[in-house]
Amino acid sequence: MPMPRNRESLLQGTLDLLILKALVSGELHGLGVSRRIDRMTGGTFVVQPGSLFPALHRLEEAGWLASSWGPSENNRRAKYYRLTKAGTRQLGEEVALWNRITVAMARALEA
Amino acid sequence: MSRLSSLWRNLVHRDRVERDLDDEVRSAFELLVAEHVRAGLSLEDARLRAMLEIGGVEAVKEQVRDAKAGALVETILQDVRYAARLLRRNPLFTLTAALSLAIGIGANTTVFTVANALLFRAPAGVAEPDRLVDIGRSQDGVGFDNNSYPNYLDVRQRVTMLDGVYAYRLGAEAMSLGNADGAERIFGNVVSTNYFTVLGARPAAGRLFGPGDTDEPGASPLVVLSHSFWTRRFNQDSSIVGRTLLINGQSFAVVGVASEGFHGTGILSWDVWVPMGMVSAVMPRRSEGILTNRASVWLVMGARLKPGVSVRQAAAELDVIGRALEREYPDVNRGRGLRLLASSPIPGNSGPVAGFLALLMGIVSLVLVIACANVAGVLLARAAARRREIAVRLAVGAGRGRLVRQLLTETMMLFLLGGAGGLLLARELTSLILSQLPALPAPVDVSLALDGRVIAFTIGLSLVAALLSGLVPALQASKADVVSALKVDAQSPHARVRLRHAFVVGQVALSMVLVIAAGLFVRALGRASSIDPGFDPRGVETASLDLSLAGYTDTTGPPFARDLIERVRALPGVTAASLARILPLAGGGMGLGPLTASGGASPPNGRPFFDADWNIVEPGYFETMRIRLLAGRDFGAGDRDGTQAVAIIGELAAQRFWPGQDAVGKYLQQPPGPPGTSAPARTLLVIGVARDLKYRSLGDIPRLFVYVPLQQQFNPAITIVARTTNGQRLAGEIRALVASMNPNLPIVGAQTLEEAGALGLIPQQIAVSVTGSLGIVALLLAAIGIYGVTAYAVTRRTREIGVRIALGAARGDIVRMVLRQGMSLAGIGAVIGLALAAAASRVLTSLLFGVPPLDPVTFAGTAVLFAVVGLAACYVPARRATRINAIEALRYE
Repeated sequence: MPMPRNRESLLQGTLDLLILKALVSGELHGLGVSRRIDRMTGGTFVVQPGSLFPALHRLEEAGWLASSWGPSENNRRAKYYRLTKAGTRQLGEEVALWNRITVAMARALEA
Repeated sequence: MSRLSSLWRNLVHRDRVERDLDDEVRSAFELLVAEHVRAGLSLEDARLRAMLEIGGVEAVKEQVRDAKAGALVETILQDVRYAARLLRRNPLFTLTAALSLAIGIGANTTVFTVANALLFRAPAGVAEPDRLVDIGRSQDGVGFDNNSYPNYLDVRQRVTMLDGVYAYRLGAEAMSLGNADGAERIFGNVVSTNYFTVLGARPAAGRLFGPGDTDEPGASPLVVLSHSFWTRRFNQDSSIVGRTLLINGQSFAVVGVASEGFHGTGILSWDVWVPMGMVSAVMPRRSEGILTNRASVWLVMGARLKPGVSVRQAAAELDVIGRALEREYPDVNRGRGLRLLASSPIPGNSGPVAGFLALLMGIVSLVLVIACANVAGVLLARAAARRREIAVRLAVGAGRGRLVRQLLTETMMLFLLGGAGGLLLARELTSLILSQLPALPAPVDVSLALDGRVIAFTIGLSLVAALLSGLVPALQASKADVVSALKVDAQSPHARVRLRHAFVVGQVALSMVLVIAAGLFVRALGRASSIDPGFDPRGVETASLDLSLAGYTDTTGPPFARDLIERVRALPGVTAASLARILPLAGGGMGLGPLTASGGASPPNGRPFFDADWNIVEPGYFETMRIRLLAGRDFGAGDRDGTQAVAIIGELAAQRFWPGQDAVGKYLQQPPGPPGTSAPARTLLVIGVARDLKYRSLGDIPRLFVYVPLQQQFNPAITIVARTTNGQRLAGEIRALVASMNPNLPIVGAQTLEEAGALGLIPQQIAVSVTGSLGIVALLLAAIGIYGVTAYAVTRRTREIGVRIALGAARGDIVRMVLRQGMSLAGIGAVIGLALAAAASRVLTSLLFGVPPLDPVTFAGTAVLFAVVGLAACYVPARRATRINAIEALRYE
């Protein structure tokens, strides 16, 4: 299980991107986001709750996510997150940025 | 949702936000558990697994909180609430800690308030005070003295870097204000007419002196009133502008009133200002050539720097002008230069005063350090006691930084509490200082208000002290090793105990220094009261007059003085009375020029003349003061103007002038006065020899002394001395007598001779009260420190002591064991303290009246005092140790 040593600096950009992407297909609660990322990356990224929840709250405060309360699978009160319009826009920007980075990195490594 | 509204929500609807967060994380946890159960784990294992994956519900919540808007504010508020709860729960600890801090901070604030008033405070009603400078006369490159009017005019004309140079008197002139029912004494200053303009002062009524007024001698009989005098004397009546006042018998037109609180840049507060040209009316005693004689020095200058000019540049220019004046007028300006300094409330003296205040600051800082060490010691002990609580919090996921912050918050609150108490204490102390000030010869306006700067100082001091004394305990505490701390029977780490012991040793040492200093000053005051000043100051009433204020001259003064003193002698209760120019120990001296002894010894060091201290007296002075005449006779009615000039000399003078011979009947020669003065050469017949007195201070070494009779050497500034039966007060009778003889003659000052002499002991008295009160506080703090350490050690060793008792240790052994620990700390501290005090006391030698700085009585006495206090502090815990019940102690854990 690859686990970057410094979650804050290394993973932060990637984590935000992954969370936004995970919510494209609909609203999820925190653990659902974690599970979705796990599936999307084929188990490469396992997001710890200690990073996930602060990130969700940060993104919500930034206005990219909105939340509402609903029942969970086992009928507890769970907080569901969904993308806002601003969040969708942000996702587009982050994806574009990420593509530029990967292209540049790939070129650099091939050279 | 915008960041700002998140902040609002997070801070204001904190409870809901918290609840939501808890629900969110908890439901995630439950979901995980459910998943694991579905995968076939037992509930127990599922929970454990979920817990491991999540890393602790509380820890996650903490991380979310840190990521949220307003996290810092939020945690600080939380810390403050938590700290307040803890402090409330330990009222005794909170109270003693805050009290000792209040004393330390209060003492510091008080000294800073005085420094603020004397050194930093901007003068009221003055524009841009930081652009102002003081200019004085230096002698051989040092000092800050008065200058002459011609020198002032030259400076004013030549200088290019200053925007206006004004001149004024550094002191306050007593003046007589005539009115219907007799004369009233007021204090005034003589200023050049550009004074108010350069200072940028504004009038409260009428106008101030300005460009239209002249400094020509006698040309502008005008006066500006101070706001306080206007209020006190004229009830703020604006119609006073344009009316005339009778000052020293001369009419002055009131042109206006200065703004409220304005009194120039200094600390003296005058009632009136009069133009420089009127100086001869205001200072009649010194009128001869005062505006024309370059040798007559009586004024200082102030000025405003031109824009862009620095103090250093202006000082360099003034130095050049000073050198030019020295070259051009070598006979009067030799060795004399000009010194320019940034404006200060005490021109030329801010250096020494700052030094004295720094010394005081050093002493009160010691007290604060002791108080801080005490609190730090207690905090360390509390940290030890809270190790388990802290370990638990670390175990459930609290960050170490967060813990340190939390512990520091508690300390900060304690210190701010102490700081608030300190401010209150400082307010009381400063008003106490003001009420204890001796009657000063001139009105001083030193505002000891606790202004913004003082409050900022106190808060800053509290926070710095809190950081210094709280950081180490907080770091120590947060280092708690979770595993060992959670074990029940944990000993606290060695380092922490050692640190606390070091604090106690330091406290004992520093408080010892203070107590020894106080002891030395008490001994010095004791020695002072046993010093024979050579006269008997008890039961003598004094009243100072300036005959020139009522227009008396060299011709009319002497007969009036003789008439006055004869009437004083006739007052009921007066056994003897006389007049004198100078009172012994009242903080003054005078000279009447150099001397040679006819047919006697040559002056020392190849100099042409002897220098002596002089006094001018009426007959009966020696009897009134009970100064023994060793040979010859007192002045008499026959020693008057026109007869042989006579003198009575002191014992030392007699020995030095005519060694081995009888001085009575010999002659003293005085050369003529310097150019520009009118004193002719004189020959004085010695008619008597008097015992030498302590004149300038009790620590005085005998000086050459010469007395001359007032009738032959008139001086208008005289003091009535009247010995009364049974120390009866006569101030009222003397005042009435003077008023009946001349209603225009005010009494400048009235006090007993003992009060007048008490001025000389002020430094020692201040030192005793400061070091004494602070020493006692420090001693108490040290005792609390020793007690705390010992009591803590006993608690920590309860089980060990129980075992010892169970094994048959005698009570005495237990007591000895406990005492040994406490007293060894006190002992180490005392040795260090004695060494420090021995080094420090040398500095005080000059204030000790011959008490040796290593005075064995003081040092031994202090050592015994500390031994007793140390024993007392250890006694309570030692007794508790002997009462430990072996069975209970062993069950205790």
